[in-house]
Amino acid sequence: METGKVVVEKVRGKSTVTRSFSKYPLKLIFPRKVGPSETDAVWIYTLTYGGGIVSGDSISVEFTIGDGCTAVLTTQSSTKVYKSLGSKSSDQVLEARIGSGALFVVIPDPVTCFSTARYSQKQVFRVVSDSSLVIVDWFTSGRHASGEKWDFELYRSTNHIFVEGNQPVFLDTVVLEQDSPVSIAERMHDYQVIAMVIIYGPKLKHVQDQVQENVKRLMSQQLHIPSSAKTNSDPAFIASCSVFGPKGMGVVIRIASTTTESVYKFLHHQLAGMQPLLGVSPYS
Amino acid sequence: MEHDWAETEKKRKRDVPVDSTLQWSQWQLLDSILPTGGFAHSFGLEAAIQSRLVSGPEDLKTFIIHLLENTGSLLLPFVYSTTTDPTLEKWQELDRILNATLTNEVGRKASVSQGSSLMRVAASVFTEVPSLKSMRDVSIASPGVVSFHHAPVFGLICGLIGMDSGTSQRAYMFMTMRDVISAATRLNLVGPMGAAVLQHQIAPLAEDLFKKWMNRPVEDACQTAPLLDTIQGCHGYLFSRLFCS
Repeated sequence: METGKVVVEKVRGKSTVTRSFSKYPLKLIFPRKVGPSETDAVWIYTLTYGGGIVSGDSISVEFTIGDGCTAVLTTQSSTKVYKSLGSKSSDQVLEARIGSGALFVVIPDPVTCFSTARYSQKQVFRVVSDSSLVIVDWFTSGRHASGEKWDFELYRSTNHIFVEGNQPVFLDTVVLEQDSPVSIAERMHDYQVIAMVIIYGPKLKHVQDQVQENVKRLMSQQLHIPSSAKTNSDPAFIASCSVFGPKGMGVVIRIASTTTESVYKFLHHQLAGMQPLLGVSPYS
Repeated sequence: MEHDWAETEKKRKRDVPVDSTLQWSQWQLLDSILPTGGFAHSFGLEAAIQSRLVSGPEDLKTFIIHLLENTGSLLLPFVYSTTTDPTLEKWQELDRILNATLTNEVGRKASVSQGSSLMRVAASVFTEVPSLKSMRDVSIASPGVVSFHHAPVFGLICGLIGMDSGTSQRAYMFMTMRDVISAATRLNLVGPMGAAVLQHQIAPLAEDLFKKWMNRPVEDACQTAPLLDTIQGCHGYLFSRLFCS
């Protein structure tokens, strides 16, 4: 069942929220003054009651970003998924249609699943040939400061992008479940954060090029350390870029890190080139 | 000892009807001598070694198990679906879906190059199945329709030569294990004897992973080792490298 819906359209030449609704456990807010008034971007914050998702919660939101509009979807703090009661899981579904020449930017804080939590999210983006899209999807090992590391039962995250005619451009699902011959903690070595950043479409070519160059430089340096100088521990931060989609329209960056802060820093730095489009630079 | 002997004897005397033609084809398809270029790929192992994630035999074992779980969860659905329905339409559809699913460029290119070689070899070798050659010819004639990804090509061939879907999925796990262990010996992580011992040790775990992920629809295909995926993506950043992926 739908718990939220937002439509962004051009009104007198400006991106404007023309329809919206949300109900428990979801709350949507639209602060007016996020960036300078000359920037044409709508900022949308999602909140949940009680600051997190409770076992059994089901959230389903639909976004329509009209032709030529820019919208940013973000959160104010990490999404906490509380301990599950019995085998109940929580789920979030997001469906978005992004119009011609439009830009949709999904830049939340990470998802943090508490021990025993069961969480599943699915995001489906329908674009046309000249839509642009940024998706940051990331999660942490849990409340690792208090010793909970990769202690949840299930985490599932799906991100799909389709172009006209229902043609798949990007299909990705990550599933981590405790019920496997290899525990999640073992699979993650000492890493506490896994992140994925998708940058797609014509408006973001400059950001794509910059990120690819930066990641290549960063990782090449790290990998070229002569073996005599190498320590025995895993590198604290790993990232890699891949091009995908027709005519290489998209870039996906995958990140594994030992700290949440270093990922925030990376995102802030790499997405800073979007500031003119959004009014404020992401993760600042 | 007595017991072992009795068990083996019982197994040996079991009267199992064998499709002899199929068995010869099966063995050939799984033989490492088949020139499909599998040995040009390390499945991210080379990048994992250079980034210090894998530094000895114990790490190697863990790496292989993670790789096998990811192969099971991500690729077995494609092998299963093409083996059970080895038609041109199904194969082309699944190839397109897999092309969008392999978002890691290094892995995607490796899959395309291995799949293209396998299809070329199979079309020339298994001449008793003429549709293999005709499907390949049709697909080459219209570029862009098929990328020749490895898992659907493998499933298609298995289906067309009459292999059952359980065997084809288990075989896919076997080949992945065979190729990564071979890469490990060439990267000097294990010697040839150690590699053979390791392969046999991992087999029961591979069987568990196969059972867990077998017979799933492609809608269920997923990544279960995101760290491995990130590492594999670093392959292009390596200064000197032995393998293509």
